[in-house]
Amino acid sequence: MASPPTERPRIGGAVPRFSWGPALVVLVILGLTGWSAQGVGFDLVELVGGTGPIEKFISEMFPPDLSARTLQTTGKGILETFQMSFLGALIGAVISFPLAALATGDASTSGASRSEHLLRVVPYHVSRFVLNVFRSVPDILWALVFVVALGLGPFPGTLALAVHSAGILGKLYSETLEAVPSRPVEALRATGAGALQALLFGRLPQAMSGFTSLTLYQWECNIRSATILGFVGAGGIGQQILISMNLFDYPKVATLVGATIIVVLLVDRFSATIRRSLVY
Amino acid sequence: MASAGGFALQDVAVSFRGAAALDGVTLAVEPGESLAVVGASGAGKTTLFRVLTRSVALTDGKVTVGRRDLYALSKGELKGLRRRIGSIYQAYNLVPQLPAGVNAALGEVGGMGARATLRTFLVGPNRTLAARVADALDRVGVEEKARARTADLSGGQQQRVAVARLLVQRPELVLADEPFAAVDPVTTERVFEALMELNHEGATLLVNLHDVGLARRFPRVVALREGKVAYNGPPEKLFGETLNEIYAGDDPHREAARPEPADERPKDSISLTEGRDGVSSH
Repeated sequence: MASPPTERPRIGGAVPRFSWGPALVVLVILGLTGWSAQGVGFDLVELVGGTGPIEKFISEMFPPDLSARTLQTTGKGILETFQMSFLGALIGAVISFPLAALATGDASTSGASRSEHLLRVVPYHVSRFVLNVFRSVPDILWALVFVVALGLGPFPGTLALAVHSAGILGKLYSETLEAVPSRPVEALRATGAGALQALLFGRLPQAMSGFTSLTLYQWECNIRSATILGFVGAGGIGQQILISMNLFDYPKVATLVGATIIVVLLVDRFSATIRRSLVY
Repeated sequence: MASAGGFALQDVAVSFRGAAALDGVTLAVEPGESLAVVGASGAGKTTLFRVLTRSVALTDGKVTVGRRDLYALSKGELKGLRRRIGSIYQAYNLVPQLPAGVNAALGEVGGMGARATLRTFLVGPNRTLAARVADALDRVGVEEKARARTADLSGGQQQRVAVARLLVQRPELVLADEPFAAVDPVTTERVFEALMELNHEGATLLVNLHDVGLARRFPRVVALREGKVAYNGPPEKLFGETLNEIYAGDDPHREAARPEPADERPKDSISLTEGRDGVSSH
C-alpha cells in the first residue's frame, strides 16, 4: 500500500492553472486568427481611410425621401416581406415536423432483431439527410434556384424561405424531441405504447413550448433573410432597395432601410415577448 | 400467450460498460404472488425491473415471462406483453405538460390502434375510457384533479395519478419501483392499498423498497446485494445478521468473493444507462 500523502492537495480557484492542453488551444486560436486576417486582407487603416466615401454615402441619404409615392412603395415592400417571412416559417414548420419526427432517435427495444433495426434506422438517416440538404444550402441560393424555375417575384422567395426554414427547424425540432426528459417516454413504452404513441403523448407535449419558441425565432430570421432575397429578384423590400440603389436614389434607400429596421425590431420584440411567456 | 403474471430469471447478468448491475440472478415468481425487493442503492433493484420490461440488454442469462423467452419476442409480441405489465416509479414519470386525466388514460394507449391514438391525441379519450379514468382517479382520491396540469400537482398527487394509470391499464404484472420513496405517509398508505388491491384481483406484484418495515408486510422478500440475490424467503427470517449484510457498506467476509467494493462503482453511473437513469437509479 502506498504511504499516505503528507500534504493535502490544493483545490485552486475558478481560473484553471497552467496546463499544456489549454495552452495549445490558445496558440491554435491565435494562429487561426492571424492566418484568417491575412487571408481576407483585414486592414484597419483602410477602414479608417474609407470613412470619407462612407460619410458621403450616408449624408446623401438625408433627408430621407418621405413622399407619398415612396412611402407607398415602402409599405408595399414591407408587407410583402412580412408575408413572405410568415408563410416561409409556417410552411417550413409544416414540412419539417414529419421529417423531424422521423429523424428523432428513440432507443427503446433492446434486443430488437436486425430487420426491425433497419426499419427504424433507414427513415432516420434519410430524413436527416433531406434536412441537411435543406439547411446547408443558404436561402439566397434556394431563391436563385426558384427564381430560375418560377420567374421573378415574392413566390419563389417564399418557397426559398420555406425550404431553408424546414431544414433548420427540422434539425432543431428533432433535437428538442430527443432532449426531452426520457423517463416519462420510457414509462409509456414500458406499457406497450408504440413509437408513434410515445412520440405523440410522451415527447411532443414536453417539446411543444420549445417548438413554438423555435418557430417564432425562425420567423424573425426569415424577416431578415426576406429583406436580402429581393437582391436576387425574389420579391420583398430588398428588390426595392436594389432598384433605388442602382438609380442612386439614396434618400429613398434611406426610407426603405429605415422601415426595414423598424419592422425587424418590432417583430423581434413581439416574438421575444411571446417566447418569454411560454410555460415550460 | 400465457399470462404475463409469472416470470423467471435464470442466471441473469446485466452490465453497463463493464460495471455489473446484475450478476447471476436466478429468481422465479408465480402468477399472483406479491413480493418486496430490498437492497442498498446500487444493488440492482431498478435494473431487475428494467430487465422485466426488456428496457436493458442482457449480458448473460435468460428471462422467461409467461413461459416465453422475453428477449426472443418479436417487436409486436413485446408490445403485447408490455401492455400487460404496469409500472410505477419513484419519480412518477408522468408527462408533466398533460392534464392528470390524460396521463391516467395513457395506461390504455398501448392497446389503441392508429385511429384511436390520433383521436385521443386530438380530442381526448372516448367515453368508455374517460369513465374508467374518472373511476381510477376516484379510487386513489384525486378525482377533482383530472383536468389539472400534471406539473402543477404535488408529488403525492402525481404518484396517485401514476397509480390511476396503472388501474386503467389493468396489468397482470405490476412493477413498483420505489413508489413510496418520495411521497407522504398518507399517500404511501393509499398507494400501498391500491397495489394490494390489484394483487388481490390477481395481478402479480413486485415492489422495490428501501423501507424494510414496509417490506415485512409482504409474504415474500427478495434482497439484492451487488447484483446478486442475497436473501429470498419470508420476511420473518430477514433480521439481524442477514439484514446487516444486505445493507453493509463493505463486509470483510465477502471481500474475497467480489473484486469491487460497492462504493467504488463508477460515479457517473447515471450516464451509464444512457441518461435514462435519473433520480431513481437504485
